[in-house]
Amino acid sequence: MALFRPASRTGRRDTTGNRMWVWFMLPGTLWMTGFLIASLVLVAVLAVGTTDDLGNPRFGFDLSGVRALADPAYTEVLARSLGYALLTCAICLLIAYPVAYTIALYGGRYKHALIAAIVVPFFANYLVRMYGWSVVLSDDGPVLRALRAVGLADGSTKILNTGVGVVAGLVYGFVVFMIIPLYAALERLDVSLIEAGRDLYGGPVRTFLYVTLPATRQGAAAGLVLVFLPAMGDFVSAQLMGGPDQIMIGNLIQDKFFQGQNWPLGSALTMLLMLVLLIGMFGYLRRTRKDEAEARR
Amino acid sequence: MDATPAVRLDGVSKRFADSSAVHRLDLDIEAGHFFSLLGPSGCGKTTSLRMIGGFSDPSEGSVLLAGEDVTALPPNRRNVNTVFQSYALFDHLSVADNVAFGLKRQGVAKAEIRQRVGEMLDLVQLAGLADRRPRTLSGGQRQRVALARALVNRPAVLLLDEPLAALDLKLRRQMQVELKQIQREVGITFVFVTHDQDEALTMSDRIAVMNEGRIEQCGTPEDVYEHPATRFVASFMGTSNLMTGTYRAGEVALEQGPALPVGARTGIADGTAVSVSVRPEKIWLSDFEPGMSMLRGVIRETVYSGPTTTYLIELAPGVTLSVLEQNTARARMEDRWSGGETVEFGWRPEHCLVLA
Amino acid sequence: MTIVKLPSATAPSRPTARNRTRRGRADRKPRILIAVTGLFFALLYLPIAVVALFSFNSKKSLTVFGGFSLRWYRAFVHDDVLISSLGTSLRISLVAMAGSVVLGVALALGLVRCRTRLGSLAGLIMLVPLITPEIVTGVASMLLFKGLGVALSTGTVMLAEITFSISYVTVILRSRVAALNPEVEEAAMDLGATRWQAVRLVTLPALLPAVLASAVLIFALVFDDFVLAYFTTGVDPQPLSVRIYSAIRFGVQPTINAVGTLMLAGSIALIALALFIPRLFGRRGGLDILSGE
Repeated sequence: MALFRPASRTGRRDTTGNRMWVWFMLPGTLWMTGFLIASLVLVAVLAVGTTDDLGNPRFGFDLSGVRALADPAYTEVLARSLGYALLTCAICLLIAYPVAYTIALYGGRYKHALIAAIVVPFFANYLVRMYGWSVVLSDDGPVLRALRAVGLADGSTKILNTGVGVVAGLVYGFVVFMIIPLYAALERLDVSLIEAGRDLYGGPVRTFLYVTLPATRQGAAAGLVLVFLPAMGDFVSAQLMGGPDQIMIGNLIQDKFFQGQNWPLGSALTMLLMLVLLIGMFGYLRRTRKDEAEARR
Repeated sequence: MDATPAVRLDGVSKRFADSSAVHRLDLDIEAGHFFSLLGPSGCGKTTSLRMIGGFSDPSEGSVLLAGEDVTALPPNRRNVNTVFQSYALFDHLSVADNVAFGLKRQGVAKAEIRQRVGEMLDLVQLAGLADRRPRTLSGGQRQRVALARALVNRPAVLLLDEPLAALDLKLRRQMQVELKQIQREVGITFVFVTHDQDEALTMSDRIAVMNEGRIEQCGTPEDVYEHPATRFVASFMGTSNLMTGTYRAGEVALEQGPALPVGARTGIADGTAVSVSVRPEKIWLSDFEPGMSMLRGVIRETVYSGPTTTYLIELAPGVTLSVLEQNTARARMEDRWSGGETVEFGWRPEHCLVLA
Repeated sequence: MTIVKLPSATAPSRPTARNRTRRGRADRKPRILIAVTGLFFALLYLPIAVVALFSFNSKKSLTVFGGFSLRWYRAFVHDDVLISSLGTSLRISLVAMAGSVVLGVALALGLVRCRTRLGSLAGLIMLVPLITPEIVTGVASMLLFKGLGVALSTGTVMLAEITFSISYVTVILRSRVAALNPEVEEAAMDLGATRWQAVRLVTLPALLPAVLASAVLIFALVFDDFVLAYFTTGVDPQPLSVRIYSAIRFGVQPTINAVGTLMLAGSIALIALALFIPRLFGRRGGLDILSGE
């Protein structure tokens, strides 16, 4: 069987035990294939399926679900989702960079504790955190009160039920995915490199632009992907922070499966979401390949 | 005496996807010997050892242990044990449990396990450290644990894969002596892989010198050193003055320089391209004997290093010989030379090797 | 008392911030960077502090603190629906943890050791959940169960959670397996162990800290997860996180503050434990189990 032929054999490693390792791998792989890959294929199949009179999905070949995606109502949501997700990426980068930089370079022996203090709550219950965030950003919440106190907001300023609220929710939800890879990149960065940069370029700003930033580009790229993926598929933030005019593609999908009961359309929307994400991933991979190729030269 | 070799490799080859590591190896290792596989890295010595241990399947040929074909048997069913280069100790077990691991696998009774582990830890001088974790030991101590863990099973053959490579020079010398003593004491056949020719010379009963997957020469340390069979062995074992030329009627005409008198050699046809090898310590600078091959050259460099002095003597433009003189009590001061002097030197004909 | 006083709840983070500047490079203190970082930490913990604070509120309000009370915790303890949901969530987490750890550890071992095309294919499949948003996995799982005619229930949540968690376990364990010295397994076989005994007696004990850490982490992640659970759960009993989701969407119930505080405290404790486990075994603990590096 071709699959069992060694893909590459280098050095001394022997194939004596491959048979047993295949058995180790098989249950997990079959499980993932059976549940995950099969279910994703099912989504794709159902995207071109139909429904019967009772709303139950039927397999078939009907492009009405796919064609419906061209409806301006949906393209608008897609465009908005994309906009929110990209904006979230940009803001996360702007926040995560100084935080990761400060901790990596000035954290001293508290470095690990500080990063853990960021990571631990982020992996704790997402819903409760988002709910708490919505309370903080509410009209009577501490953020708006503080802004009003310094005159940056007036009585009519709102965060909830606006696009600002939704993006704030997405940022709060996923900024850790930017901090971790950036921190890792900055950690690896040799401090003497920055000092050498000071000698070479003088000012800290030029040093940052010519030394620090290029050295952490890969970390930032990884962070952008890690934030973009969940932000694009999120529906909680729009639900808790936004109003009817701020819904994202995730809310549409949820709606088609739970309220609207239009599964083929829901599946088509899901495939559309996957398509956008795959394009993003592809762009990232091409970018890193290019970077790696340049680094080799 | 039992004539069946402890280990026999019969036409063993090992090919990897992109290269050949061992090429048609035939090798007998006598029971009770300290046997070394010596060669530069990548010469196939470790691969050969792994095939004896059962960690690597030969592409062709067979492996016999005490006359029995074990080619198809997994490591756990071969009566050999291995001391790995990385020691490969079990970090989650104490030193004593590491040593007891093999006995437990064999189902040896608890009381006997305790006794044998104790004896073995005594033998390798680790008696006080039985309850320690391997991670807390020094490199030398870890090496002893690995040795004890393998020896306690009383294997027919012990395989050692560069076990001293990770130790510093002083500790290495000490362990060389100790390892040899232990081997004599337990009487087990040791197959020792190393790239260090000094180590192989001092410890072994027999040495197989390997290069590019083949055995170049197999013999006693003296044999291999004094009578290298090939140019590779001559250059790999210690330093050698190697010169190339053409053999003709008892002389080798060097590519550059004079013809060296080497005596009539049977088995070498006139006109054959050959290498000539003379060890630096086999060249005389004084007190010549009759019948020696005599030459003349200019001393270009003297390198004094305590007990010995090395002279670099230019025989002809481009041909420089290294000559080692002992600075013993019997050596006379006036027998020291300095740079620029033209000197006579010579060697006994039997010390000049002609390698086809 | 009003909410304006809330920032004091984040006071514990201040001493570290001060130490950081003192211990940092003395030549230049980047005040702006430290201010941004301080603000970030404040905003990071503010929502958590709000939820925790108002869980002890004697009033029903979410903006006015009326005094300390355990009223909402009492309400939670006496709420049979929430308590049964808690039990359901615990069961789901335990089963998903056990299933995904067994499958994931085996998969990680196989992926590292087996250099065949099947191995590379399995490696690709394993990455799919990590680049797929949860909503897609949720939709897909739901469709699969519906398509197979399986009624959604606690069992379907377990199956979906296992599927999603295998990847996490595998990613965490894979780097650890790769870092193991392959000679150690060979040494076990050399000493008479079969291939399987070598894995059981030597490899698995060596991986134990990472296995435990990943198990704790998976337990916490599954317990907290709601997207996948939301798509694959039946009507009754529902996992706790799904109940919280409904409660948050349809009107404010201060009980949720109490439940949320307990869940946050629980998962923070578990994740901190997961980070700390390797140290219990005298190894370098670390965040790498979260980032998979």
